[in-house]
Amino acid sequence: MSPQRAPQASGPAAQSHTGRPAVSPRYPGYDVLAKRDSPSWNAQTRRVIDQRLAVGPDTHHFFCDEEWPTVRAVCDRVIPQAQDKQGRVPIAALLDEQLRRSPTEGYRDARLPPMTEAWKQALRALDVESLNSHGHRFHELDAVRQDALLRRVQLGDVHDAAWEGLPAKIFFEDRVLHDITRLYYGHPTAWNEIGFGGPAAPRGYVRMDFDRRDPWEASEARPGREEQARKENARVG
Amino acid sequence: MRQLQRTRAARQLNMSSAVLALSVLADSAVEHYRGSFQNRAMYTPLGIATLTLAASILGALDARPRRHAARDGIYAAAALTGLVGLGFHAYNIGKRPGGLSWLNLFYAAPIGAPAALVLAGLLGRSAETARHLGSERRGSSRATWHARMSSSSNPPLASGRVLAGISAVGLAGTAAEAALMHFRGAFHNPAMIAPVSVPPVAATLLGAAAVTGHRNMSRWARWWLKLTALLGFAGVGFHIYGVSRNMGGWRNWSQNVLNGPPLPAPPSFTGLALSGLAALDRMDEQTPRRGRR
Repeated sequence: MSPQRAPQASGPAAQSHTGRPAVSPRYPGYDVLAKRDSPSWNAQTRRVIDQRLAVGPDTHHFFCDEEWPTVRAVCDRVIPQAQDKQGRVPIAALLDEQLRRSPTEGYRDARLPPMTEAWKQALRALDVESLNSHGHRFHELDAVRQDALLRRVQLGDVHDAAWEGLPAKIFFEDRVLHDITRLYYGHPTAWNEIGFGGPAAPRGYVRMDFDRRDPWEASEARPGREEQARKENARVG
Repeated sequence: MRQLQRTRAARQLNMSSAVLALSVLADSAVEHYRGSFQNRAMYTPLGIATLTLAASILGALDARPRRHAARDGIYAAAALTGLVGLGFHAYNIGKRPGGLSWLNLFYAAPIGAPAALVLAGLLGRSAETARHLGSERRGSSRATWHARMSSSSNPPLASGRVLAGISAVGLAGTAAEAALMHFRGAFHNPAMIAPVSVPPVAATLLGAAAVTGHRNMSRWARWWLKLTALLGFAGVGFHIYGVSRNMGGWRNWSQNVLNGPPLPAPPSFTGLALSGLAALDRMDEQTPRRGRR
């Protein structure tokens, strides 16, 4: 349920300005934001990414102060990130922003309430379930207990009346996993980690064959070609 | 001035070879850069097409009725390189998953492209052969000239009919490639039908003129060849427009020049149409006009 993530790199591979997305050891020196002012991105793309980067880790308008620590704790368990990670992705704040700005995706599993209601009810129910089992709210539990409780949600093994009309198992699949991973991988820090080039708008890719690389794509440091990759990544703009 | 007249057909052939070589040079430079020169051999057409272009321009300016050994050598090398290139491209298609499938014909190395280099070489060689015969012509009477031209001891490339045949096959092949690529592009612009309809007509008429030797046929062929030559120019214009229509337009040229319609492709039609016209001139020269002489 909680993917074990490789520890964030330290040392030269992780050099990056504070506040800038972190740099991945697999794509040394690659910073997708180097493409910002290149032909790869246009004004619209820059606007969208700038908005995403402007979201502060504690910004929340949709979730109330009561719900906020719970949603943050859930996000931290589904995709754990080191506290000192550079360019840490503010997943909970991005979720808040998304639910506030566009409260519907235009489709949903009919067995679940609308996205905004589902999240609010689930956070409430999760805290109730946590109080029932441990006498503490969800965000106050240690990581092991949090994981165990989330696993019960994933299996649908939660029975408090607070879950009425909200099938926990479906909520976990459709909202927890879907929203949290999607928001994480919509952030430039995650793009740097996986060597993704960000929006192909307007410039896409022209070398489509397997194992080919456009000069504006991240270069992977396969064993023995770390320096080569670093040089190529310095020129992705 | 008389020399200019005498070598006119040869220089016209040098010119069509130049157009083809330029098309090959630009096209292979762009496409092989896109292929990251993955195989070292991918540099070869750039070198040989540059030499062919240079030789052809010099040839087009050279009115001396003499075969030029270096030019002839370059042309032979170009034709040979083109043949080897056809093999490489077939290998590239064959080694991909699916082998000879529509997908690979659309997106692997273009199967017919190196043929343009073969044609540039053949046209160039025929230009040099024409000069060579031109020099033998000096001092001989018109009657012996015609006798020599029609005798079987002449190299086949000197024959206008053979040249017309080569040009016709080249035009048909180029039209087939345009058909494949424009089908891939779903003929989304009605103008995309032009290169798959006009050149095939020109190729058919030219081929028929080559086979039958009919003057009437060659008059019609001339007409369509001129239209095809114009189409080659117009095609570049359409492809420039095509690039502009891709996302980001010309400002996003580093993507769209590679991803959009190939700018250097349509002039191949012009080059082959010019050689077709030169071939018809040669046929006229080589066929004695009965009754007038």
